[in-house]
Amino acid sequence: MKVSAKVPAEGTLQAVATALAALGVGVATYIAIAEADGGAPACFAGGGGCETVAASSHSELAGISVAVLGIVGYLLLLGTALLRGDGGRLAGFGLALVGFGYSVYLTWLELFVIDAICQWCVVSAVLMTALFAVNATRMVCYVGAEGTTP
Amino acid sequence: MSGASGDGERRQRLIKLGSAVGFLAIVVVAVLIVVGQSGSDGGDASSVDGAAEVRAELKGIPQRGLVLGDPAAEVNLVEFGDLQCPVCKGYAEEIVPAVIQSRVRSGEARIEFRNFTIIDEQSIDAAAAAIAAGEQGRGWDFVELFYRNQGIEASGYVTDEFLTAVAEAAGVPDIERWDASRQSRDTIAAVEAETGEAGDLGLTGTPSFVIEGPRVEGGQEVLGTPGDAGTLESAIEAAG
Repeated sequence: MKVSAKVPAEGTLQAVATALAALGVGVATYIAIAEADGGAPACFAGGGGCETVAASSHSELAGISVAVLGIVGYLLLLGTALLRGDGGRLAGFGLALVGFGYSVYLTWLELFVIDAICQWCVVSAVLMTALFAVNATRMVCYVGAEGTTP
Repeated sequence: MSGASGDGERRQRLIKLGSAVGFLAIVVVAVLIVVGQSGSDGGDASSVDGAAEVRAELKGIPQRGLVLGDPAAEVNLVEFGDLQCPVCKGYAEEIVPAVIQSRVRSGEARIEFRNFTIIDEQSIDAAAAAIAAGEQGRGWDFVELFYRNQGIEASGYVTDEFLTAVAEAAGVPDIERWDASRQSRDTIAAVEAETGEAGDLGLTGTPSFVIEGPRVEGGQEVLGTPGDAGTLESAIEAAG
């Protein structure tokens, strides 16, 4: 299969996805630890946005911390970034789409329901958006091609 | 030629599979959203839950109006809240109970709920109902139970039926008197006065906390929206 010269090599896309997912694990882990005892992550710009979001009932899904779900999601994305072949391409695309869609929903909640913005949640949403873009490019451009390693 | 054609067909099949994966992912997101919403639906007049839990939390602590705790306590922690506010619900369930048990039950401080109605007209109905419950010694039971059964913000769930169900579960002894009081001009004026006071203090959102005590400069200090019980407990210690 021929791939346009403008599209990065699949190995590059996998390396970028690996770095983004690892960063996501770090961010989600920090939020989960900060919220563990009823606290909140430190918002550098002040204003109490992180505290407000952390105290919101929307910070949990069916009793599970959204930050913990984030850790699981980023770890799975890390796994798909390292997985070669069509399995990794399709799974990475599907998981990144779930993460991106749920991030859009969480951002909407922050803006229009909770009325507060947590900077760490914004960082996570940006990482998830980038992961979706990278995984979608990998899937569209390389599905059906021979597997590569990052 | 046939190899290239085979590769093309395989790729077409995989693109279709990718589309199916994308569709499945969208379904998963929709399910996550529905689960998230169903967990916070509330607002059901036919099933007001948590009465026993609230009773146990407040048992043995004096209350008068919307003030909980020893009336002679030197320190007064004021929470300005809107009963429809989902963040206030989070505080009522996760942060305020710890302060009540550690500082209010001991008599070190009292905690007062004042209405800051910022969401819609039904916030005023809810606030008036809380004040009317407070007149019969069940103000904090009402506030805590309302939060535990809170519905989706501004969805119209704060009906007469819902408020009555909460008042009954809160143990308001004379529902007829409560019903008349919550609709009285004086009670509505009291709600407006509390909201006006929040504006005068420069508060911009709910919940917002204010501490009053002998060691507070000027007698009163705005704490804003601290994200944990420890910050409120420290403020109480410093104020007394």
